[in-house]
Amino acid sequence: MLSNKQHNEKILKIFSAIRCVNKDQLPRYMDGRLTEVEKHLLEQHLVDCDLCYGALQALEKEGEQEQYQDLTSKLQRYVKDSIQPISHVQKVAQYTKKEKTKEHLLFYFWVFAFIGLGIGSVYVLRGHIRNQPPPVRYVAAVNPASDSNAAENNGPAPATNAAVVAPVNNAHASTPNPVNLPNDPVASAATAKTPASVDSAAIKKALALKAAQKKATADSLAKVKRAQLLQKQQDSIRREAEKAKEKEAEKPKEKDKSDEQPKQAPKQETAAVKEKENNPEPAKKEAAQPTAVDSDEYLYKAAMVFQQQGNYNEAIDRYRRLESVSSGKYKEMARYQLAVCYRNKGQTGKARRMFKEVIRMDGSMKNAAQQALDGL
Amino acid sequence: MQQQLTNLSDKELISRARKQNDREAEGVLMERYSHLLVAVTLPYLHKDSSLDPNIVFPTLTQRLSASLKTQTIYKASEWILHIQKGYLGKPEKNTPFYPSREVRDLLHIENLVDKASNNVIDRNELVVRLAQSMDRLQPEEKTLITHFYIDNKSFAELSAITGQTRDKIRAQLKSAKGKLAKLFMNQGYVK
Repeated sequence: MLSNKQHNEKILKIFSAIRCVNKDQLPRYMDGRLTEVEKHLLEQHLVDCDLCYGALQALEKEGEQEQYQDLTSKLQRYVKDSIQPISHVQKVAQYTKKEKTKEHLLFYFWVFAFIGLGIGSVYVLRGHIRNQPPPVRYVAAVNPASDSNAAENNGPAPATNAAVVAPVNNAHASTPNPVNLPNDPVASAATAKTPASVDSAAIKKALALKAAQKKATADSLAKVKRAQLLQKQQDSIRREAEKAKEKEAEKPKEKDKSDEQPKQAPKQETAAVKEKENNPEPAKKEAAQPTAVDSDEYLYKAAMVFQQQGNYNEAIDRYRRLESVSSGKYKEMARYQLAVCYRNKGQTGKARRMFKEVIRMDGSMKNAAQQALDGL
Repeated sequence: MQQQLTNLSDKELISRARKQNDREAEGVLMERYSHLLVAVTLPYLHKDSSLDPNIVFPTLTQRLSASLKTQTIYKASEWILHIQKGYLGKPEKNTPFYPSREVRDLLHIENLVDKASNNVIDRNELVVRLAQSMDRLQPEEKTLITHFYIDNKSFAELSAITGQTRDKIRAQLKSAKGKLAKLFMNQGYVK
């Protein structure tokens, strides 16, 4: 069984692949110098390979082994000389090409890396600049020390108070300082003009406020004269009124309108005078009201100074107090300035809410607030 | 590198020369068959004295190198012989090389045997199939193959037994082997 199996496995030998005869085997086979196994393998190969059998036959017939050896070595030398140097040159070229591509890739990598770094640093720098707190602006005012002192002390300083004091107050409460009076509005105007970055609407408002103040102070100075004049006029008006009452008792409303149409200031004054004359107690009330307005204005100005100096927290603090205490014009303005402060601080949400509140109040700052809100 | 390439088979050298454009592999292949090329060409050189070996062999090498990149080569020896005969023989026979059907069958079975050498099941199956194909050969052919391949008898011994020349015995063996390969390949169709 075993021998049968071995015998069977020998069948596979028929189709075993054998390499062609090499250079030395051919003469050795012809001379009979091969071993049995070698000889058998060579003969097996000779059955399949026409080239090897043809070579064997040719060598046996020609019998010129010297020429065969000579030509073979020549051909081998030719192959070595012609093909292998080329391959070597090719390899060197391939290597240099690879190195060059490597260098190019490295160069591109560094270029891209530097570009990326540059862009990144610019981006970071811009972000840093954007997030930097705004620089403290020093107001180049005529007498900033007095203003700041007034703001910090938050108390009545007789010398500086004159700048902030309302015109009505000048006539009643404090002693008027005629030297300071013309200076202060100029100073405050200068302070309002110097910082370029302050909101234009706020500047306008401040200017308008100063103008009103100026006007008011002028009014207060002239008020005494006016009062005298008004008293004179008053008698005549009273007479006229009595006459008119008698004559036109049927149309009192029309007469009132005709009285209102002349200049507003005289009318107000007359009304005030009338009220004064009629009942002296409301006059006291009126005197108290200007003091409230006065403190509001003082607070507002102090807050403006802080705002212009860039001290937004202090300014916001004062505006808030003003907003909670006062009513009417100052409340609206305080809210508006609060919104501006919030916007400058970068708290856009709060600023937007404040602007909306200003708009809701529907006052004189409505348009400015609307514009600022649109600009946010 | 040269040493490493010389250990590679013809198939690997050819594929290297083609795919990687490796001239060194091509050179090793040429060197491997150079002596056979010289031996086969010698009769032509003797016959025709006008042929200069310094021209014939470089030209032959260049032709081989050119055809290596384009032609299908199963067996390098067959391909070299074809190119050599095309150059030195009759010009009308100078056709592009294409491996014959017999050679492809032989190569296929050789590959099967090579693969089966590591697998007992495959080897046994192959043995059975080959034995079946052998049984379908002519008795003379079967005897000849058995003597030569299994009993390890040489050409000289076979010619002493049969009284035929070496050439004839080789031709008979070759044809018998071809038939066996054909029978083996067509075994699936004949039951």
